[in-house]
Amino acid sequence: MFRAPLTKILQGNFGSPTHRIASNAIRTSAVVNQTPAKAPEKIEVFVDDVPVKVLPGTTVLQACAVAGVEIPRFCYHERLSVAGNCRMCLVEVEKSPKPVAACAMPVMKGWRIKTNSEMTRKAREGVMEFLLMNHPLDCPICDQGGECDLQDQAMAFGSDRSRFTDINHTGKRAVEDKNFGPLVKGIMTRCIHCTRCVRFACEVAGVEDLGTTGRGNDMQIGTYVEKLFLSELSGNVIDLCPVGALTNKPYSFVARPWEIRKVSSIDVLDAVGSNIVVSTRTNEVLRIVPRENEDINEEWLADKSRFACDGLKRQRLVAPMVRMPNGELQAVEWEGALITVAKAIKNAKGAVAAVAGQLADVEALVALKDLLNRNGAETLCTEQDLNIKGSGADLRSNYVCNTTIADLEEADAVLLIGTNPRYEAPLVNTRLRKSYINNEMEIASIGPKIDLSYSHENLGEDASLIHQVCSGTHPFSKVLENAKKPAIVLGADVLERPDAAGIHTTVAAYCKKLNKKDWNSFNILQNNAGQTGALDVGYQPGIQVALKSQPKVLILLGADGGKITREKLPKDCYVIYIGHHGDNGASLADVVLPGAAYTEKQATYINTEGRAQQTLAAVSPPGMAREDWKILRALSEVLGTPLPYDNLDELRNRVEDIAPHLVRLGKLEAAIFGNLAEQLGASKSIDNTKIDIKQKKLREYFMTDPISRASPTMARCIREVSEEEAKEQHQRQAAC
Amino acid sequence: MSLVRQIFVKAPQGVQWARTIGNSSRCMSPVGARDAPPIDVAQAIARPEEVERKKKLSGAITVPTKVDLSPISGVPEEHVKTRRVRISLPPKNAMQSGTDNLDHWQIEFDNRERWENPLMGWTSTGDPLSNMQVNFGSKEEAIEHCERNGWRWFVDVDEQPKKERVKNYGLNFHWNRRTRSSTK
Repeated sequence: MFRAPLTKILQGNFGSPTHRIASNAIRTSAVVNQTPAKAPEKIEVFVDDVPVKVLPGTTVLQACAVAGVEIPRFCYHERLSVAGNCRMCLVEVEKSPKPVAACAMPVMKGWRIKTNSEMTRKAREGVMEFLLMNHPLDCPICDQGGECDLQDQAMAFGSDRSRFTDINHTGKRAVEDKNFGPLVKGIMTRCIHCTRCVRFACEVAGVEDLGTTGRGNDMQIGTYVEKLFLSELSGNVIDLCPVGALTNKPYSFVARPWEIRKVSSIDVLDAVGSNIVVSTRTNEVLRIVPRENEDINEEWLADKSRFACDGLKRQRLVAPMVRMPNGELQAVEWEGALITVAKAIKNAKGAVAAVAGQLADVEALVALKDLLNRNGAETLCTEQDLNIKGSGADLRSNYVCNTTIADLEEADAVLLIGTNPRYEAPLVNTRLRKSYINNEMEIASIGPKIDLSYSHENLGEDASLIHQVCSGTHPFSKVLENAKKPAIVLGADVLERPDAAGIHTTVAAYCKKLNKKDWNSFNILQNNAGQTGALDVGYQPGIQVALKSQPKVLILLGADGGKITREKLPKDCYVIYIGHHGDNGASLADVVLPGAAYTEKQATYINTEGRAQQTLAAVSPPGMAREDWKILRALSEVLGTPLPYDNLDELRNRVEDIAPHLVRLGKLEAAIFGNLAEQLGASKSIDNTKIDIKQKKLREYFMTDPISRASPTMARCIREVSEEEAKEQHQRQAAC
Repeated sequence: MSLVRQIFVKAPQGVQWARTIGNSSRCMSPVGARDAPPIDVAQAIARPEEVERKKKLSGAITVPTKVDLSPISGVPEEHVKTRRVRISLPPKNAMQSGTDNLDHWQIEFDNRERWENPLMGWTSTGDPLSNMQVNFGSKEEAIEHCERNGWRWFVDVDEQPKKERVKNYGLNFHWNRRTRSSTK
């Protein structure tokens, strides 16, 4: 049997042109056949005598879910393909001699499904008995204990006694533990072979590293040869695993599910704005797990967002600090620090500038802007540049992901320009990959050769290719123009180039041509959680504005990107840093005011598609650190220009005055005036230089912000991934 | 009728994995649904204008007033005025597939500081409201409860409709689509 799809084989090593054309023809004809003519009529089935109407092709398990009956399952997962190998979902169907596997069997008209009959219960009991026969009884030392599907289902559906008597004292089946890397701990004796991890790796992560070897009692899940599970989404197999075979390595033996408190929040380590649940105990963030949100992260979470939480305990700024004449930062009381800062701002007489960093929240941004405006200063900018003249950051559609993350999975032709979504926004990449698998999407990239976890065409590195594609002369233009739902994704880093204005205008003009009804194809993929919010409330993009104004006082609101250095600033510039980690910003500051990290404040963040969401405070800020907007509010009092809000609600009212969409949490407000970008664009010239991407390899993914830079887990990831990559390269050379 | 029967069949059998999606009324009021409500004959044969007139005349006029229990509830002023209540649906545990106990609305207060108690290493808090768990059948009930107690509230995470997806075992073996799985 072929182990790869037929077309892959056809396209692969036998790559003669005729073969390729033939296989493409096969694919297109198949796709045409699959497009349904009209919505088929619903059929009626009975679940425990309750009639439900479902689409033909719906599985028994889904039909039961519609009726509100949940069938127990281990191998079936809503977002993965059907495997049908655990048999836990067996149910009785009237007039069927055997119980049927609900997850794989499509319903037929008039079927009467019995989810609680004697036969169904017997079947479940039998399956549970077989599973437990070889499952170790180590729940007391298992990290999954308390949130384990096997435990729960054994209680609910298993037999009340065991018939397992090991008369020969041979012991239970035991499997050697495997090393999956620094994030996932594998205790393979506990594995029940549901193959969810294998399917996740293969379908969602796009890394065909995991698989099964052996058969029957000897079956094992693993990588066959020992290697790390090199993926930016590896942490999700921990959630998927219904037993304790794959568990969280940094979190192992740390806490039990019943002793932690869960707070729903938002992740800010990339611009996707994944929904998360922060688990805490004793004012300490212990772990982060994803929260379902169909529009953003489905139910996945990228590794950096999940595992960098130990960086929240390291390198923290816990007290206000003032730089002494001998050059050392010394901890002082809040009062002293605020008076020092206020004096500096007063003496600057309006020559004050502010730079907002990548983790700045909307509330702090607004408070800072109000504060400076009240003191005669107007130079506020973001650390990341958006070098587009003309309409610039005035039009929202110029810097957000207009197609929206959820709709990207419907796209059928995508062009990526200077972006690597796999590492810049892993959960956007899963959408693209989903479309690649289910929609036969064609995808091309302009930029360096990268591994996107699915096959794509690399058009080249040269920026002039953008012009070729957008003028319709490139072969890929045909693909985009013929597509029903085309999309072009521009990386945020591309827009920092000197010719960004030209690229932006050219692409915007081309997208205007590609746009369909209810389909906007123009996307900017931001990689900083704070950027969209800062531009929304009126910050100017790029630090050049701040540097040019020759400020006497520079306020850094979490600006840790390392773009600002002492050399670039005027000699007598007084630098004030407000933020939570001792990173680049704090090291060059004259005064450090400790702020709160995203798990410690209720704050609004705008994700790359322009969706406002809020984090909730899970723990309180360490030491004397305070919420950022409260620091600014206190400072305004010392300056004698008090800000007119005393609590979060009043501040949010002020935010609403600026832009009402920023307080409509969870809702997406579509950007308008997208068509104007082209008219207002200054130039269309593009340099003939190469486009570069910052994050090309997995090891470059792990540390991109002050929190992940402080995280020991992320450091371990980089070390192990680098070692693994070096090892692979060595093996490749040896093979040559 | 079959709806009702199902509930009575299921109810005594201990463990239920049944979960009503969307419409929770089925589980909410099984008792009231047993008999059809009795119909008043005079009312049934009355003309529409008569019904209208009767309605206008009947009963006392109620003037809606805002009920505020906070002055008499005994809750310290600090916990009424400075707290913010989040009304939400409980999120599904990412580690498990079960979705029972998720179809109610709950209120929770903003987090206050917790610390490790040096005596036993357990978690201590000075916040009397942090362990309060109140569940509601609907969002509106939760809002009303907060209003009556004088708390500031916000609704987080509205219900999201689930996408219907057709799943097919055969796709794993499709001869030319990318859904074909190469790893087993």
